Parts: sequence; structure tokens; C-alpha cells
Amino acid sequence: MTSDGARVLVVDDELQILRGLKVILRNAGYTVETAATKGEALDAVSVRPPDVLVLDLILPDGSGVEVCEEIRTWSNLPILVVSAVGDEREKVRALDAGADDYITKPFGGDELTARLRALLRRSTDTAASPSVKIGDLEVDFSAHAVTSAGSEVHLTPIEFDLLRVLAQNRGKLVTQRHLLQDVWGPGYEEEGHYLRVHIAHIRAKIEPDPARPRYVITEPGVGYRLRESY
Amino acid sequence: MAAEIVATVAAASGLVAVLEGVASATSLTVIYLLAVLFVAIRRGEVPGLATALFSVLATNFLFIEPRYRLTIAQSENVVALVVFLIAAVVVGRLAARSRQRAAESEERAAIADAREKEAQVLADAASLMLVSGSLESELDTIARSLGPVVGGPLRLELAGSPKPADDESSLRLPMRGQPAWLYARHDADREVIERIAEPLARLLDVGLERRRLTEQTAEAEAVRRAEVAKTAVLHAVSHDLRSPLTAIVTAGSALQTDNLSDGDRRELLSVIDSESGRLSRLVDDLLDLSRIEAGAVSPRPDWCDLKDVVARAADQVAASHGDHPIEIRLPDDLPLVRVDTVQAERVFSNLIDNAIKFSPPDVPVTISGGSSPAGVTVRVSDRGPGIPSSARRDVFEPFFRGRGQQSGSGLGLAISRGFVEANGGRITLASRKGEGTAFAVTFPRAEIASPAPT
Repeated sequence: MTSDGARVLVVDDELQILRGLKVILRNAGYTVETAATKGEALDAVSVRPPDVLVLDLILPDGSGVEVCEEIRTWSNLPILVVSAVGDEREKVRALDAGADDYITKPFGGDELTARLRALLRRSTDTAASPSVKIGDLEVDFSAHAVTSAGSEVHLTPIEFDLLRVLAQNRGKLVTQRHLLQDVWGPGYEEEGHYLRVHIAHIRAKIEPDPARPRYVITEPGVGYRLRESY
Repeated sequence: MAAEIVATVAAASGLVAVLEGVASATSLTVIYLLAVLFVAIRRGEVPGLATALFSVLATNFLFIEPRYRLTIAQSENVVALVVFLIAAVVVGRLAARSRQRAAESEERAAIADAREKEAQVLADAASLMLVSGSLESELDTIARSLGPVVGGPLRLELAGSPKPADDESSLRLPMRGQPAWLYARHDADREVIERIAEPLARLLDVGLERRRLTEQTAEAEAVRRAEVAKTAVLHAVSHDLRSPLTAIVTAGSALQTDNLSDGDRRELLSVIDSESGRLSRLVDDLLDLSRIEAGAVSPRPDWCDLKDVVARAADQVAASHGDHPIEIRLPDDLPLVRVDTVQAERVFSNLIDNAIKFSPPDVPVTISGGSSPAGVTVRVSDRGPGIPSSARRDVFEPFFRGRGQQSGSGLGLAISRGFVEANGGRITLASRKGEGTAFAVTFPRAEIASPAPT
């Protein structure tokens, strides 16, 4: 559970939530800083950028969406937005504005640290690792091969590409737009129905029970996520 | 008429007799022509003819030799007779025609006058309806203004079936939608009534349509406002409930971490403790508010000394707000009122709590009061920033929060107003920007049936 002292900036105006988060994150090995407003958050990020930003969407002096937009003009810093049921539209706007993932209130410590771990992994081991193993599922990027419980799974090139993008970002939300652009190329960003069809095919081939997927999780209205561990 | 003819001929005869010395009688018979014309113009053809005949006889008898005897077959007499007769017929007809024209135009003028009056009354009725909000309240006024036009009192009614009084007859107005009835006394001018029925019906149609549209607009506005309120409530509830809940879940989850230091553990437990309290107060507030909005407050009024109530409320607030100064300056002889004591205490603790929140540190919140014939008033004042006039209407709305005010449910004032009104009282707000805010609660004075035993 160690995170090598990565620095997390938590932006939330609820002091009581910050108190709990600080304990959780410190115990998970992070160095924690906090900000209570949009202004404080932008100041803190520009003075000394953290390794990852946890950002509440509703702030007293503005919206987390504006923070995302502002930061994305000059930084690729991973951003995890904290949304609530009812904030769906803001959440989608934040993701469109460049946030990397979201977590819904109320959340537990494990869920939060898992998301942060996935976000922080991005820059380090995506390119390096030749294969990814999740439960019984193994995706071998170099061999273009997928095995499930030891037996080979035959995927079409499109299906393999989709699973590859999800596996390289395992544990992380991958937006529809991202998937469509990566797999089909520019100009296909609005063709969400391609995804529905091909994701259904992939599930039929790799999920023990395709009706209740364990590996490829739908994030309604936003995208998909390959579960990190099973 | 005969008398007029005789008199005219007599006058002509007299004139001839007077002038006889000047000219020959025969040549003077032309004067009788004047008599014939006079009667023909005034009375028409037939009296003119009669005058002509009578004039010839009179000439013959009075002025033609042998006098005082009627001698027929006088040739000049015959000529005069024929001329008189022709003159009588021609002039009589012309006069009759012009008299008829005059009469016709007079009648037309009278009708135009009457119509103008009707139109004026209908126009007045129309403007009355446009100005007034309620159609029903104007029906009587409209009917009354129409009365003089039809020559008798009228009544108008929007009803499915006619209900005339005994001395009234009813007329169904030719309305497009809802039926309407016009009642008039039997002696009223039926013709006029029928004539105004059509425009009156159109007018009422427009009035009803206008009312329908107004109602629709009001309804749509109410629906819209309800939607806005619902969204605000949903948003506020989701935020207000979730924040403490998230803090509790987060702290609870953190407590499961191994190797927590004692300091961390205490920190997390205090989060859970304070946030549970906040959640519980919020749920209480929501329950109170829903009871108020459902009209299910049902106060249990009792004799109540507001000085006591305020003191208890102040103690209660002090328990949670520490030592912010509260100055109570209520007169000793403040009359008792009959209100629900528990609800009154909630009202004042909410108001005091609110006042402290907006007060600068160490500037006391003051509570003053007094009584008037109208009621007993307690005023809670702060020296805070004041409430901008734009927000004064909203402060009593649920989930409204003061500027920059994050703590609190935004329900306190809505609940206070609900409780005050359920107890027959009023709550009003006076505020000046930069000088502070005062909330005044006034409960009605209760009649003391018998003096308390001493």
C-alpha cells in the first residue's frame, strides 16, 4: 500500500471530510496538502504542483470544472474529481475538461487509494510492462494474445485494441471519447454505439458471466474501466 | 283641425274685409291662397283641400256680388277654386314629405343617440373588465351600468341554468363557452336587451378567456416555481446530507486502517461525533420542515411567559456556541401569550443561533421586546452585515443561506416562520446594510379569562 511519499493535494471545503481523508492518505503513505477553495487550489498547484489532485466539484468560490480547465492549460497533472449523485453533469463536464477519473461520495478509503494508485501508475509502467494480469485474465501486449484461465481467447483486431487500451489504463476510467479516438481514430468520437457492440463481444469472450461483467465495468454515461484486481 | 281651418279662413276673410277699401274684393281673393298654403303646409293635403273649398265658399258668400248668398256658376269663382285646389294638393304633398323627412331624421338621431349610449356603456364595461382582476366582481357593476339603457334594473349571472326572480325574465346570452344569463324586469326594453345581448356575450367571452389565460399563466408560474424549489431542495438535501455522511464514512473507513496512532484515532472519532450530531440536527430540521409544509404542526397552546422561553433558548444556544454574549432586555411586565412552548423555544433558539452566526465576535446579540394592543413582540437583533434588500424576501425560504454562510441547514428561518405562523403569530425582518438585522416575532395577545389567584 505504499505510495513512495507521492504528494496529494486534496481540495474540499468540508473541514470534517478533510480530517478523515488526511488520516487515510497519510496512512497509505502519501504526503497530504489541503485547499478549501478554487483560489487556494490554483495557488497551491502553481506554486508547487502535487503528484495528484483530489478535487471536490462544488467549491465555495466556483466549480471544480473551472479548476480542471485552468490546470489543463499548462499541466498534465492527474486529477481525480469527487462528485456526488446529482452532480453527474458537472462530473461529465470535469472529465471533458481534462479530469482523469472520478469517485462518488460517500466513498471508502480503499476505493480512494485504489483510484489514486491507478492514476499515479500512468506515467511509470504503462509502456514498460509487456503484459497485464488481472485475476484469470492475461493480456499480452507484445504477442497480441489474450488468455482467460490459461486458455487462449480469440479477439478480432478491434476487440484486442479496445482491451489493450483498457488494460494499459487498468483501474482507471477510460472515457468513450478516448477509446473511440485510440481505436478507430479521429472523427469517430461520437460513435458510441460502436463501443456498445464491441464491448459486448469482448465480454462474451472473456467474462465468466457476460450479463454481470467482472472485468470490463461500464461507467454509465462516461466510459469503461478494466478492473485492476480481481 | 276643423277649428284651425275655420279660424284660418276667418282670418283670411277678415284681412280681405279690411283691405277691401284699398283694392277690389275679387282681386283680394288671392289672400285666401295664403290660408290654403298655411293649412296645407301645416296639416297636409286633405285639410288643404278642405280649406280651399271653404275659402271659395267664403269668397263667394262674403265678397262676390250678390253678397251673403251663394251663387254658383261664377266663372272667376270656379277658376279660384281650381287654383286653390291645385295649390292645396301640391303644397300639401310637398309639406307632408318634408315633414316626414324631418320626423325620420329626428328618429334616426334618437336611435343613434340610444345606440351611442349602449356602446358607451358596453365600452365602459369592457374597460372595467380589463382593469379588474375578477370577472365575477364586475358583473354587478356592468349590469348596473346597463340598467338605464334598457330602462330597468338588470342582473348578469354566469350559471348553467337560469334563476330569475319572480318579476324578471331571463335571456340566455349567446356565449361561445360557459353559459351566462341576463335577467331583466318584465317592463324593461326587450328590443334593447336583445340588441346588447350579442356584444355583451362577446365581452364576457373575452373576459372569461382572459381569466382562463391568467389562471393558466399563474398555474404555469406556480409549477415553475415549484420546480425551482424542488431542484433547490434536492440539491441542498443531497449536499447537506452527503457532506456529513461522507465525513463519517471516510473517518469510519480510516479507523479500519492498521497501526493508527492514538492521535489519529481521536481525530477520526471526533469527526464522526460532530458530523453525526450535524446529520441528526439536519434530519430533525427536515422533519420539522416537512411537518410545517404538510400543515401538520398542530401546536399545543399553553400559557407561556416569553421571558422564560427566551432565557431557555439562549441557554441552549450558549451550550453549542460557547460564550458569545447574549443580552436579554425584556420588560418584566411582558404579558403572557398562548403558544406552544416547545415550538416557541425552537423559534427563538433558531433566531439567536442565526444572530450569533452573523455577529462579529464578542458583539452581543440583543433581545428586546414589548407589547401593544395588537400583540406581544420579541425582537432578536444582531450587529452583523445586514441582509441586502434583494435577499430579504428569500431568507424565510427553505435552504436559503446567507452570503458566505456554509454551516447550518438553511432551514432555521423557514422552520421559525412555520412555527410562528402555526401559533397565530407573525415574524418580520428589519435590516439595514452594515448595521445589522432584527427579526421580530409577534404573538397575539391572549385574553385572560380570570385573573390568576394571588
